[in-house]
Amino acid sequence: MIDLIENSAYAIWVRESPSIWAYTTILSLHAMGLAIVVGINTMVALRLIGYVPEIPIAKLRQLYPWMYLGFTVNAASGLSLLAANLTNDLHNWMFFVKLSMIALAMVNLEMTRMRVFDHPLVVNGTGVPAEAKRFAIASIVFWTIAIIAGRLTEYPSFVRAWFGF
Amino acid sequence: MDAIAQMMVSTGIDEFVAAKDWVWPVCEILHFFGMALLIGSVGLADLRMLGVAKGVPIKALERLIPLGVIGFVVNLITGFIFVAGNPVGGPQEYLGNLAFQLKMLLVLIAGINLLLFYVTGIARAADAVTPEGNAPTSAKVVAAVSLVAWFGVIFFGRFIMYNDTLLYALGL
Repeated sequence: MIDLIENSAYAIWVRESPSIWAYTTILSLHAMGLAIVVGINTMVALRLIGYVPEIPIAKLRQLYPWMYLGFTVNAASGLSLLAANLTNDLHNWMFFVKLSMIALAMVNLEMTRMRVFDHPLVVNGTGVPAEAKRFAIASIVFWTIAIIAGRLTEYPSFVRAWFGF
Repeated sequence: MDAIAQMMVSTGIDEFVAAKDWVWPVCEILHFFGMALLIGSVGLADLRMLGVAKGVPIKALERLIPLGVIGFVVNLITGFIFVAGNPVGGPQEYLGNLAFQLKMLLVLIAGINLLLFYVTGIARAADAVTPEGNAPTSAKVVAAVSLVAWFGVIFFGRFIMYNDTLLYALGL
């Protein structure tokens, strides 16, 4: 199964094509998607923590499609890069730390929508539920670890030297 | 270019990078944090000027831009370490790299664009827009240039390590 994916025409194209649209553009898209989803989510989180109170929280709900745009770009580009490099990634524990953090961050993003943006206080523009700060801090923590683990996925020998496995 | 490379090497950063295996990965992590901060703050103000998230005052979003400046400074420092401390081929490998040159050109364009936004009065006009209102066309142009330039910076940034692919595509 792993072989089948890794040696599929698509995976080979991503990995080996000299075309500008193959590996490197996909890698670029992965960085752009990260900047969009993490960047916007971080700004929303900072506002929920109390930064720049002039920004009306309820209106930030309109940024959800943009965060999902970044997430979708990264799910698609990430699956392409994974297919091209499947065996290595599946043997890299840091990669699973990254995936777990992204899963937690996305669940947290939906929890924030239900418990903060759908909350009557926010909808009516009269306040913010106390737990908003907890969701905001959680999103910053999850994305921070996701980026750290994502970068370290590229340095397995360094990770082995520092963590011992 | 040789003089710049010489000056960078004389900082001794290359020895630091070579001696400590954690410097490069840690700087990369910080470089990604900086990128997310920059795109999150500046990009959000740009999107609002282009008509996204109406109801949020443009002026309020501009207050996020100092975070983008922090991100930019972090990336300037970590970027300098990458170039000056490059273990394979030294600074010249970067300075002569087309993807790197295009990235720096776009950083410059984005910087001039931001400067023009503040000194030409476009920022003042944008600040005066009501929370639900449309930004003036001049502000929309600045926002579009900003987004294209910064995403171009990311695009060519990733190509630095794959410069051959870029040269091949351009027939060089």
